[in-house]
Amino acid sequence: MTPLLTVENATVESATGRIVAPVSLTLQAGRPFTILGETGSGKSLFAQAIMGLLPVGLTASGRVIIDGQVLDLADPASHRPLWGRQVGILPQEPWLALDPTMRVARQVADGHRFIRRLEAAAAMKAAADDLTALGVAGAGRKLPGELSGGMAQRVAFAAARAGGARIIIADEPTKGLDVARRDEVIALLMKEVEAGGAVLTITHDLALARQMGGDFAVMFDGSIVEQGEADMVLSAPSHDYTKQLIAADPENWNERKVPAGKRDDIVLVAEDLAKARGGRLLFSGQGLRLHKGEIVGVTGASGSGKSSLGDILLGLLKPDAGTVARALGVAPVRYQKIYQDPPSAFPGRITIGANVSDLVHLHRLDVGRIAPLMKRLKLAPELLHRLPTEVSGGELQRFALLRVLLLDPVFLFADEPTSRLDLITQQETIELLVELAREQDCAVLIVSHDTALIEKTCDRRIEIGEKGGAEASVA
Amino acid sequence: MIKAILSRLLQAVLVALLVGLLTFAMAWLLPGDVAYRIAAGRYGYDLVDTAAAAKVAAELNLDQSALTGLGWWFFDLIRLDLGASLITGAPVIEAIGRHLGHTLKLSIAAILLSLLIGPPLGILAGLHPGGWLDRSLMLVSTALRALPQFVVGLGLIIIFGLTLKLLPTAGHDHGSHLILPALTLALSLAAVSNRVARDAMVAVSRAPYYAFGRTKGLSEWQVFSRHGLRNVAVPIVTYLGIQFVSLVEGVVVVETLFAWPGIGHALVHAIFGRDVPMIQGAALVMGLMFVALNALVDTLCHLIDPRRRAA
Amino acid sequence: MTAFDYITPRPVRWPARRVSGIAILMALLAFAFLPLVLGAPDPLKQTLRLTLQPPGAADWFGYDHLGRSMYARLTAALRLSLGLASLSVITAMIPGLLLGILAAWRGGLIDRVVSGLSDTFLALPGLLLVLMLTAIVPDNAAMLYIGISLVLWVEYFRITRALARPLLNAPAVQASQLLGFGPAYIIRRHLWPEIAPMLLTIGAYGAASAIMAIAALGFVSVGVRPPTPELGSMMIELLPYYEEAPHALLQPIAVIFLLVLALQLIARKDKP
Repeated sequence: MTPLLTVENATVESATGRIVAPVSLTLQAGRPFTILGETGSGKSLFAQAIMGLLPVGLTASGRVIIDGQVLDLADPASHRPLWGRQVGILPQEPWLALDPTMRVARQVADGHRFIRRLEAAAAMKAAADDLTALGVAGAGRKLPGELSGGMAQRVAFAAARAGGARIIIADEPTKGLDVARRDEVIALLMKEVEAGGAVLTITHDLALARQMGGDFAVMFDGSIVEQGEADMVLSAPSHDYTKQLIAADPENWNERKVPAGKRDDIVLVAEDLAKARGGRLLFSGQGLRLHKGEIVGVTGASGSGKSSLGDILLGLLKPDAGTVARALGVAPVRYQKIYQDPPSAFPGRITIGANVSDLVHLHRLDVGRIAPLMKRLKLAPELLHRLPTEVSGGELQRFALLRVLLLDPVFLFADEPTSRLDLITQQETIELLVELAREQDCAVLIVSHDTALIEKTCDRRIEIGEKGGAEASVA
Repeated sequence: MIKAILSRLLQAVLVALLVGLLTFAMAWLLPGDVAYRIAAGRYGYDLVDTAAAAKVAAELNLDQSALTGLGWWFFDLIRLDLGASLITGAPVIEAIGRHLGHTLKLSIAAILLSLLIGPPLGILAGLHPGGWLDRSLMLVSTALRALPQFVVGLGLIIIFGLTLKLLPTAGHDHGSHLILPALTLALSLAAVSNRVARDAMVAVSRAPYYAFGRTKGLSEWQVFSRHGLRNVAVPIVTYLGIQFVSLVEGVVVVETLFAWPGIGHALVHAIFGRDVPMIQGAALVMGLMFVALNALVDTLCHLIDPRRRAA
Repeated sequence: MTAFDYITPRPVRWPARRVSGIAILMALLAFAFLPLVLGAPDPLKQTLRLTLQPPGAADWFGYDHLGRSMYARLTAALRLSLGLASLSVITAMIPGLLLGILAAWRGGLIDRVVSGLSDTFLALPGLLLVLMLTAIVPDNAAMLYIGISLVLWVEYFRITRALARPLLNAPAVQASQLLGFGPAYIIRRHLWPEIAPMLLTIGAYGAASAIMAIAALGFVSVGVRPPTPELGSMMIELLPYYEEAPHALLQPIAVIFLLVLALQLIARKDKP
């Protein structure tokens, strides 16, 4: 095997201290390399450092050897001649990385024309060939705004390597992409590997790392804590953090099915619901009965109407047909919702504490309940003085939970409550949600794209069909 | 594009409506003896009599009920019958035609000059935000924007006309007369447009596609010419539309200051003399010029930005 | 009220630009209104022997071409500009703000009607509208006030509506409604904290353009007419004497420059 790129003792420092400890690794031709880490682990900064793309205020040290050429990481300018020629950088969120005002084929042709020095016509021809090879031949005449996420990903890939780069660095290549598109991205990257190139993937997605295979490293708090063959590390992790990370994957959760209790206390009944959007039928004939303390999961492809179903149950959205009935004599505020993106569910300019305090005053709640509940939710009291943007996503989602639990809900619709959170935080959040709902005898409807999460968490599951038929099945 | 054309047509109709309504109110509220006074101005004091005053009143539809009067007023407007000036007695349309040429000459010169000054400097400043050019340009723009256009014009008159005696300060006989008024307008336009260009350049150079252009392997100049220029041009041209408000306003003041025989000058004169048909004509033409300039901006945006063509 | 109060306002850190703008504005306000406290000569009183007298130890501002006190005239003109501008800004702000929230909230017909109305006012450049209104009833500051207010409300309306619309459609408002909060809460906690900082910005820009417009109309002699002291008309009156008495011409220029500069510094650079 031939090493295409070697990193020796790469570090990243800010004015306040070291963010990435010395990291060394080698990319082999024809072999993928994946670095796994959560938000704040320093994995993206490491990637930026070896590309010479660190933001202002951060400095790197160490060196990178490419093709016998030694580059000093402390001198980012020296990296520029390699960009596009030897190292191709696959941008995050490629639909933003393509020039919105330029036709796609011309953006791919730029590499052929200006780096490989082809004639304009020959460059356009080469670009068209690239796009055809990637299965997006028709995209060339379009503008980036007209492409789907998956198409934009492939176009960006073609543009990144048009200059002849054989080493591809991909930082979070699946960020913002539908889970179904993940396999396409992996196929794209593996194609490059099979052709004898090298691919360095930086990701937080355990499944992506597993599917890529090859060399694998886990990054935590700025250091690589474990490194080796992907299959080996993932099946027999040795470091505590890796173990914790793998255990947090919904695939590996313990089944937490609680025997179905009394089935008489119905909190919500829906019958014969139908909803269409944009002229497409999402579902029809959908019925549902929810009992107290029951945890029900909804799965289905993105755009299948999972969230719409929950919103209809809460009365936030009108169904095209069918009825929703609530239990008699229950206050409307006891039907609540947990949102996908926690910061967007709080008023942005007031502190979390002010928001909770407003709620207490409005409903004359018992102030004494807050402190113990916050403790249960592992929320420190000083967080109340912060704005929603000043706490982590996991903390804010737990505050959202606090807010609704204070109202003693009988029904809670959790719409992808953890899809923006890291694995370990996700596990923590779901555990708390389920535990507290069971204690308060509250019915929960969880929507998630992650089938494993639903199966391990819920008493039963509803599948919303993607072909528009009424394929709903109640297990 | 069709939607844009329709909305501009609607705007033109609104301008006509608004101008018609306001000038009608003006005529209606003229004090009773005004018809007499105007008649005197037209025929001379010796020749004026009640019949002449009544004729003037009829011309302004002052002898009918308000609603019928307004109906006739708009009917005349639709036929583009703007009537005759109350002061000179000449048809308004002729006078306006003469003035419009001068105003167009001045406006086009001012726009071109401002485009030569503002955006290039702004883009250069935006390429190095916080640099010396950016900071000094910021200072000059802030100061210029804090001065009314006529003060800028006064300053130019005092410096180039009266002190250095390089350029004429009033009149319209040959090209050099155009320089000072056009420069006055251009400076106040450029004081804003250079900031817009600078902010646009900063935003574009921080955009992910600009960074991707670099990591694709393009040189700094290639990234700028392939991905920078067009994306910066879109907000600059769009903002031009907003700037035309201050251009039209500036024309009123600057033409008066430099005695430039354009529509703005004519409008101010007409207002001063309460020459209602002339006010109507001048305001209408200025409003329509504003609409036309905006339509021009729509077209330019359409040409520069392929997203608009695709939509 | 209870042991659980977290409605402590966060200290707002105002940038140096804004602070210096406020300082200049305060100084101008003090200058403008001091004569009302201390007493000053009549701005219309002509004393021919003092014609174009330069500033001296006894009188810091000198006299104009008719021997009128520049100090009295400047401060009177400044009071006129400031008063008219702030009155117009407040008059424009209230309906603009309320209609903006209403249009964003209710959408549909109300939104279309009010938006159509605001487009009508935008069809004509603002100064042209003010100019024509002043022509209806000449030499009347009330028309100036009505005209400027009519031009300014559109900006408040458009920006409030543009800010409020996405806020009202965001999950945060839906969450608050589910939690039992009513419209008053949504306005107070969701909309107001986002809109309030913008009101100051638009207000300062609006006041600046109002002051410019008043001066421009005075300058072309169709706004406030002589002998009433007004910054723009003072400049056109004093222009012929710029060689003998540059101090006289420079005074109104300096005042308007400082005033507009202060307002621009308060508004900050980023016009929304």
